[in-house]
Amino acid sequence: MKRPSLFTICLIILVGSWIFLKFVVGGIISVPIPGSVIAMYMGLIIIAILVHISVEDSLFREFRRPILETLVEDKRRLHRRVLVVLIPLLLLGYTYSIIAQRANPPGSPRDAHPSPPLELTYKDEVIGTMQDVVNPFRHYEKDDPEAFKAHVENGKRVYHQNCFYCHGDHLDGQGHFAPYLQPLPANFQDPGIIPNFQESFFFWRIAKGGPGLPAAGTPWDSAMPIWENTLTKDEIWDVILFLSDYTGYQFRTFGEAH
Amino acid sequence: MRIRTIALLLILFGMLVGFNFAHAQNAPEASEKGKQVYENSCAHCHGIEGRGDGSAAENLLPKPRDFTRGLYKIRSTETGQLPTDQDLFDIITEGMPGSSMPPWDTALSANDRWEVVAYIKTFYDGFKEAETPPKQINLSGKVPYAEQSVETGKALYTELGCVECHGDVGRGDGTSAPDLTDEWGFQSWPANLTQGWNFRGGSDTEDIFKRFIGGLAGSAMPAFEGDSFPGFGLTAEESSRMIELDNKDEMTEAEEEESAQLYEKYDAAVDIAVNLAEGTELSAEEKQIYDDAMSVVYEKSWHLANYVKSLMPEKRPEPAIGNNVLRSQYIQGELPEMDDAAWETLEASYFPLVGQVVIEPRQFNPTIDAVNVKSYYNDTEVAFLFIWDDRTHTTDETDEETGKTLEDALAIQFPVKVPQGPTAPKPYFLWGGRLPVYLWHWKASAPDQVTELTAKGINNAGVQEAQGELQAQGTYTNGQYKLWVKRALKTDDKKDLQLESGVFVPIAFSAWDGANGDVDTKRVMTSWYTFVLEPVPSSKRFIYPPLIALLSVGFLFGLRAFVQRRNSEEA
Repeated sequence: MKRPSLFTICLIILVGSWIFLKFVVGGIISVPIPGSVIAMYMGLIIIAILVHISVEDSLFREFRRPILETLVEDKRRLHRRVLVVLIPLLLLGYTYSIIAQRANPPGSPRDAHPSPPLELTYKDEVIGTMQDVVNPFRHYEKDDPEAFKAHVENGKRVYHQNCFYCHGDHLDGQGHFAPYLQPLPANFQDPGIIPNFQESFFFWRIAKGGPGLPAAGTPWDSAMPIWENTLTKDEIWDVILFLSDYTGYQFRTFGEAH
Repeated sequence: MRIRTIALLLILFGMLVGFNFAHAQNAPEASEKGKQVYENSCAHCHGIEGRGDGSAAENLLPKPRDFTRGLYKIRSTETGQLPTDQDLFDIITEGMPGSSMPPWDTALSANDRWEVVAYIKTFYDGFKEAETPPKQINLSGKVPYAEQSVETGKALYTELGCVECHGDVGRGDGTSAPDLTDEWGFQSWPANLTQGWNFRGGSDTEDIFKRFIGGLAGSAMPAFEGDSFPGFGLTAEESSRMIELDNKDEMTEAEEEESAQLYEKYDAAVDIAVNLAEGTELSAEEKQIYDDAMSVVYEKSWHLANYVKSLMPEKRPEPAIGNNVLRSQYIQGELPEMDDAAWETLEASYFPLVGQVVIEPRQFNPTIDAVNVKSYYNDTEVAFLFIWDDRTHTTDETDEETGKTLEDALAIQFPVKVPQGPTAPKPYFLWGGRLPVYLWHWKASAPDQVTELTAKGINNAGVQEAQGELQAQGTYTNGQYKLWVKRALKTDDKKDLQLESGVFVPIAFSAWDGANGDVDTKRVMTSWYTFVLEPVPSSKRFIYPPLIALLSVGFLFGLRAFVQRRNSEEA
């Protein structure tokens, strides 16, 4: 078999690399690569090819030979005719698709976690500073397991009468109303949620809901209600006990590392 | 070597298959483990003792199943039979769409689900006492989906009286729809047959067929047998003849006798079905009559299942999220009126509704699935068509508890000012707060009128003093509302939203079903979605691409000429 020309080899390398990046790495191995990164890799490959063919005069001559042949020689007439139709058509389609592209709404650049205020309040009553407030019923866990159980039970009741529509039977954020809310309700089974926060943070988020979110980091678009209008202070603390009891995750306590 | 490899592969494959079917059919003995899983994951709705009275049950409709009665809606078994273990396992695994029962496939392991099946069965002694396994519905006579079968099914839909509850075109809007209750006395809405995604037991033709034959035990939907199946015991021709005779104003003597004979045959077959249900042993002759009757029921049920299947889209429409936003299409000249065929060519954007569970009084059990929206605009105006299904047409009914007037309604919500830039906050999704919202409020009692409101909270809405030139027209047909609204893009009122092509505008909806007790804050709603007057595609798209293509042709020929000249010079 005849050895393929240098031009063909370069073309194969170029197309092969693109297919590899786009479909093998991005598709089969499914590591999502942004288009700009693929473009960068492809640029590097093109530079490498240019460097390679310009090292020696003979190499460059060999590289451009098939191009020149296609342009002028009679034996390549068919190639020439196909290309003179194909190249303008591709360009036509490409420019049309760019110009006719319809605008899409801007994505929302959202912080994952809002920063809480310094003071924790319930309605207008100041409970304490965000750092220092602890769940007043948490100590029962060690001191009085029976009382603790009663509080968890009450939290479970509160949860299933108010929260589970969105946050789900399994606390996984997949309640039956959840799929149609944007952003999705919090998933308490996610190991990155409960262990990263103090109970006071959860109290704040439950009590003040979506409207209580800070001015920085908008748009929050949270559908979370202001629960201090519906639930008592004790009910909120109980539901927080239930969240950690059911999922098995421990809330962060102050001073502990992330 | 090769044989060993094949053998090994075969064994591995066998193990995989074995894993999948290891548990098929029967649950293990009830155990402490099952009780534990049940109390942890199920009891909050179904109750510690399985009575369907957990703490969440109060607010739910359909109510969580009461396991102590042995009545199960979704079964693969014949009427009056208990479900198989596999039936119970499947319901736990897949959940019940359109209700609050979620799929437990990811939250509970298959083992745990089987344990729960075993535990649930302990709530009803009938499972223990049953000597034979429940009789499964025979699916072998399936009639393939075809136009002819759908036509036959359509005729049966009227003949069998499905219309009474499910309505003329199947939207669950039949005349008796509001009055249906289940075995426990709770409201039991008939299914909207055009929304297969809300069918509790799935919407495959086989699923629908099984509901016909097995019935939805405990609900108002009867199993097809005996006196709940008009024409039971008659052939297809005989039952049509019976209806024909029934509908005659006057019958001749011969016809009267014919009718009496048909009724005699029908009554005899119904009696046999009743006896069978009561456990009486049938004689060989009776058994023959019953089997013949059931084979007619089976065939008709397949046709009817095919018809029901024809009423629904293949799958639930995609909600209008992400880039799939509501895009108003530009047209030149007059915008289409309500009945214009131009609306048919537009695909609707689908906005699923959820209960308003934020502010008292709340709505935990929505009866309206979604609002579908289409829109056109021209240089000066925008027109919308809002379409939503509601089983009942309520315009003026008094709520027994509160004395408030209940009526069907819809509200379309926009911000007064479009947030500038991706980080600008939107008003609170529930009728605004610190930032106000601009609303179009429509009520079924005044179908050709839309009121403009400004709101700074769900309980803080006011009618705008200056009502703009808003045109509206509303209709209710066969369980479906249609509302057409037209407004100028720009108005003089500062409290109105001003519209501009290409700007992404937040949009949200609230809807009220009077018959479901919806009033004021008790309603169904959406959070914010997005709407845009889709810009007219630039006319540049017809200029630049051909220009570039032409240039490239010129370049190629130029290059060829250049190379040719150089070659000849070299030569």
